[in-house]
Amino acid sequence: MSAAVICTDLAKTFKGGVEAVAPTSLTFAAGQTTALVGPSGCGKSTLLRMIAGLERPSAGQITIGGHPPEETLRKANLSVAFQDPSLLPWRSVRKNIELALDLARRPKKADDIDQLIRLVGLDGFAETRPAELSGGMRQRAAIARALSTKPDLLLLDEPFGAVDELTRQQLANDLPGIWEARGATTILVTHSVSEAVMLSDRIIVLSPRPARIVEDIAVDLPRPRSSDQARRPEFGTFVDQVFAALASGMAETLPKAAQ
Amino acid sequence: MTMVIPARRWPVRAGPYLGPILAIVVWELLARALSDAFVLAAPSAILLYLIDNAGLMGRALGVTLANAAAGFVIGNLAAIALATLAVVWPRSDAMVRGLALLVFCLPLVATGPILRVVFGPGPWPQIVLAALAVYYTTLIPLLVGLRALPTGWLDLVRSYGRGRMAALIHVRAMAALPYLVAGLQIAAPAAFLGAMVGEFTGAERGMGVLTIRAMRGMNVEMTWALASVATAVAVLGYLAIGWIARVFMTDEPPVILAAPAEGPRKGPRALLTVLTVAVVMIVIWWGGLKLLNLSPFFAKGPWDVFEALFLAPDAAATRSTLTDALQETGVFLLPGYLAGLAAGAVLAMLVVLFPAISGTAMPVAIALRSVPIITTAPLVVLILGRGALGTVVLVAIMVFFPTFVACLHGLRQAPGRVMDVMRSYAASPWQVLLRVRIPAMLPAFFAAARMNVPASVLAVTVVEWLATGNGIGSVMALSASLSDYDMLWSSVALVCVLSALGYALVGLLERRVLAAYAPEQLA
Repeated sequence: MSAAVICTDLAKTFKGGVEAVAPTSLTFAAGQTTALVGPSGCGKSTLLRMIAGLERPSAGQITIGGHPPEETLRKANLSVAFQDPSLLPWRSVRKNIELALDLARRPKKADDIDQLIRLVGLDGFAETRPAELSGGMRQRAAIARALSTKPDLLLLDEPFGAVDELTRQQLANDLPGIWEARGATTILVTHSVSEAVMLSDRIIVLSPRPARIVEDIAVDLPRPRSSDQARRPEFGTFVDQVFAALASGMAETLPKAAQ
Repeated sequence: MTMVIPARRWPVRAGPYLGPILAIVVWELLARALSDAFVLAAPSAILLYLIDNAGLMGRALGVTLANAAAGFVIGNLAAIALATLAVVWPRSDAMVRGLALLVFCLPLVATGPILRVVFGPGPWPQIVLAALAVYYTTLIPLLVGLRALPTGWLDLVRSYGRGRMAALIHVRAMAALPYLVAGLQIAAPAAFLGAMVGEFTGAERGMGVLTIRAMRGMNVEMTWALASVATAVAVLGYLAIGWIARVFMTDEPPVILAAPAEGPRKGPRALLTVLTVAVVMIVIWWGGLKLLNLSPFFAKGPWDVFEALFLAPDAAATRSTLTDALQETGVFLLPGYLAGLAAGAVLAMLVVLFPAISGTAMPVAIALRSVPIITTAPLVVLILGRGALGTVVLVAIMVFFPTFVACLHGLRQAPGRVMDVMRSYAASPWQVLLRVRIPAMLPAFFAAARMNVPASVLAVTVVEWLATGNGIGSVMALSASLSDYDMLWSSVALVCVLSALGYALVGLLERRVLAAYAPEQLA
């Protein structure tokens, strides 16, 4: 069952006084895929890490499905796919997926794992170690691991950030169908505008640090989306809208920074 | 199209063997040339001695090996337990490190007689000394390894709501394996050293007992034969653990000699840590004696030492004896320590400037780093006599090899991209050395310098104990044989505290130098 995420007056200031996230309130609807888009270093990953319970907010609160994040963490009802796939090098793809199930205290069903490996296109690589996989294959393995526990909330921190453009497009084509089919609430952090439009139902554009919401854009393009769609005018309209919001965020913030 | 793979050139393949073979040939020729001096036994004479006395040497080796193996297991298990505690309960980290350092700074030669009194006859003093000699060299790399992992792996564990124990079991333990192996490699010869030191202090059998007999009888062949066997065992132990690691692990063990320099600490917090460590150490010392219910005649507690040093009628005389002895030791220790550091760093730089010699120098240096000081001491005394030169050289040798290996490793860790930039400006090897490699080497150099403080104290006390009759080592030997336990325990406590202070002083210097010349290395 998917869960809505509600952030109320959420803020983060690091030791030393660096303000990463300005007080922000927003709701991520259950079962939707929402992209957080913003310039590098704007605080979008910090926002995601606070929702994941990996970073303690300086102020405000978060609820996931009506419960505090600690409760979701305790029940292992969320999964994170990091920018770096963070696969353990001494474990095969299968063993890396099993690690997530071990940590989440879920049963390890070989058939389910095999099916997941097939779904992410790694059939034949179940017993292969990460060092022998390409960057794109490692990202697929990391996403398979994140999906294996059937989380209510899926957090993706630039999951295609470390792969080449072609692989990126391919992953963006193949993978959303998998997590959408599972009905999880998905929050995706990216600095790629076209990737955000391709993958999400809603895009939240953030300003340069400290992150605050510049614009909230609903993407009502039909699904499933393919790379062909990216060449259509309506896709381009969304891309332009996001770029304009990013530029406006920069324009508002930079004069302040210069003062 | 046929592809021709060129055969590897002869010097490349022969490199690792060339050094040892050359050394043996030079050794043989030198020994024959100096046969009238009765200082150097030729390899052929050593071999003959070993064949003639195979039974005696075999039995002694068996005894020492058994004690070293028991100490190796106990010491390493203790190191693993302490490292686990420090990682699972991070608040204990400073305490674990502080106590471990203090125990590591205990002068083994003087701890031996105390353990002999505590445990009586039998193998336990040797086993405990072997354990004491190994736990620190395993603990430090292990602590580094348990922490040297990508934060993403730990985030993964936390994202499933699991804590430090799960991180330890599922992630840290495997990630730390190469570091554990690096520690175990150094620990293997160190265990042998500890067991031999233990045998000096009243054991009935073993390589240490034979070494004392050979030295007292001025038996050149026997001294060299014992040293050769001990060296071979140490090197084989080092290589065997490396081989096992290569069979079972894909990652090459790193070279780590000490924990990286810690970031600057706030004054009061650092002072509080030091005070807490001192108090806990005193409580352990006092509690241990109470628990073992030992006779107060030889088991001296913290208060007894304080009394002996400051309150007793002869306190001034005790202090004067110890101060004089420490001054004598310092005169030998400091030049040897500095010469060893300088020689290690300079040779490492030469190897980097002239890479052709590294193929030969590195395997020899790595192997010799594992040679126990106990085997070197009698040889240096035979060759250079019982004077100042022998002691200084011995300390320098003890310091040289770990410094050389660490510096070479540091020099080679210069960032590739920066090296590319230097190449693009056609910088000369000297410029590259001065501007890139030396700053990259500094942390490894200082790590070696820190670890070498207790090591050089051990070297100087061993040679003073065994041969020269000077300094604090001699005071310890004399007080042990005269049952002057106030003096013995006072010397142990004093040497331990001074070694720890020396370690801290080098750490302070390290932070100053790194802040000035390589601030990025402090990050």
